[in-house]
Amino acid sequence: MAAMTDRSGLNTADPYDEELLPPPEWAPGTTMSPGTRALWAFVALAAAMAAGRIWVAPRIEAAALETWTTVFVAICVQALPFLVFGVMLSAAITAFVPPAVWRRVLPRRSGAAVPVAGVMGAVLPGCECASVPVAGGLMARGVAPAAALTFLLAAPAINPVVLVATAVAFPDSPQMVLGRFAASLIVAVLAGWAWLLLGRGEWLRVPSRPLAAAGAAARWESFRQAMRHDLMHAGGFLVVGGMAAATINVVVPASWVDGLAGVPVVSVLTLALLAVLMSICSEADAFVAASLTQFSPTAKLAFLVVGPMVDLKLIALQAGFFGRRFALRFVPLTFTLAVTVSLVVGGVLQ
Amino acid sequence: MSRPAQNLLLITLGAAVLWITLATDEYLNYVKPGFRPLLVAAAVAMAALGAAGLRRDWHDSPGASPDGAHGHGHGHDHGHGPRVAWLLCLPALAIFVIAPPALGSFTAARGTDRPAAPPSPPAEGYRRLVPTGEPIDMTLGEFIGRSFETQTGMPNGLTDVQVRLTGFVRSRKEGDGWYLTRLKMTCCAGDAVPFQVIVHGLDKPADGTWVQVVGVYRPPKTRRPATGMHDLYGQSLRRIKKPKNAYE
Repeated sequence: MAAMTDRSGLNTADPYDEELLPPPEWAPGTTMSPGTRALWAFVALAAAMAAGRIWVAPRIEAAALETWTTVFVAICVQALPFLVFGVMLSAAITAFVPPAVWRRVLPRRSGAAVPVAGVMGAVLPGCECASVPVAGGLMARGVAPAAALTFLLAAPAINPVVLVATAVAFPDSPQMVLGRFAASLIVAVLAGWAWLLLGRGEWLRVPSRPLAAAGAAARWESFRQAMRHDLMHAGGFLVVGGMAAATINVVVPASWVDGLAGVPVVSVLTLALLAVLMSICSEADAFVAASLTQFSPTAKLAFLVVGPMVDLKLIALQAGFFGRRFALRFVPLTFTLAVTVSLVVGGVLQ
Repeated sequence: MSRPAQNLLLITLGAAVLWITLATDEYLNYVKPGFRPLLVAAAVAMAALGAAGLRRDWHDSPGASPDGAHGHGHGHDHGHGPRVAWLLCLPALAIFVIAPPALGSFTAARGTDRPAAPPSPPAEGYRRLVPTGEPIDMTLGEFIGRSFETQTGMPNGLTDVQVRLTGFVRSRKEGDGWYLTRLKMTCCAGDAVPFQVIVHGLDKPADGTWVQVVGVYRPPKTRRPATGMHDLYGQSLRRIKKPKNAYE
């Protein structure tokens, strides 16, 4: 019964239902209503927090554990404001900007629409989880798929919130912000053009999806829900990224990382793959990148360019929205472009 | 994750962030002091979002199943949250149960192979120091920056004055003296790198002790500007409590 009341909405292909990790089932399968159950779960959580502070916290002395936790909490805490405000803006756009606006702004010819869509991504904040449904909505409303895909890649990578977060994370190297902007925009536009030239219609399943209804109250409601959803989703993956970064910081011997970080192309590939695995939200990834102090700037740049475009949660979302055949082709294309362009831009900026 | 659980999680997270920023100064263990207003704003936004959601559910649900929330007509509700969101409990739990302190010797010891690059001087360069008869308070970063300049042939008065440095004690594996260490945070604790100065001429207190050392700059015996070693001849030492902000 619990499962049934949890699942709301009629659309069974709802992309928001995807679950990528098998986290513990904390809630027992009882017949309580979800509200009561959640309330008890959080009363227990609050009790555990208070009890932990009183009895456990004073006794923990293992330096490695403390260091791991400090780094983990620090990354989460540092990224949180950017996550919250980024998600707030992107939810506002999803809820309050009518889809027709997109068609009016974009040029008719697909080849010209691609760069315009890329630049639009630079202006409009969109969380990466939000950008997949938004791009799907654009296609459903007649925007050329190549342009919608460029927007999908550009919006989470180079929007103002992300660039400010990058500048805060790298206060001493403004070229990181510039590099991130240039490399991401180039990759997004190249990927759009590549899709225009090589892509076939049958690879892509254009989703038909009703967007939020009209009416001020309904819009506020959809704003609130979009924000909560994105925050929950992106926040969960931020925690995964924070744990991975803290583990690298504490567990991996500095000499390994030094050795790896010393080989130029290997270090770039390592961080690019790490970005795929960690799946951190683009509003938060600059802080994780900054904490990987052993790696070269180019490797960190690759981390920042690849992360918002290719990662596990995006692959899952893209496969869910546009079909597996699409993801199978689009993901390697984007990854290759992102790594190559990062190497070139990183080389130019150094 | 059910809707009420998501709303309660948002409130819990907001409360945890308010705890480390307003109720205590614990946020200084993780981020720079200037971050407080941003954190408070984000925490309030999260708590408000959670509270609004709870209120909404409260209004919609009496007597009905929570799915009655569809009554307000937009027909598509993302009420069912992703399971990965449960992980957001971890930072809140960590803050309270482990209460992770500011980074210290463990992190400093990991970075010893590569001394941190000397911090860049202020845009207008270091002001020339003039002896006043009193020791001059200085961050380890400034001391290292001035020492680096002095070693590379740009005198700035460091050799003429007595300085007072603050940090924690760490043993050296080889060589004389001991390290006075403080971690430099660029952005958050994740990117902290150690600044260390070798103190000579004073008995070493226990590792991890926070101290203030008064002494004079000791130029290196050999020319070695690139090794990142910076020495102080210590004259007196005072044990202090760990500062509220343990980082530089």
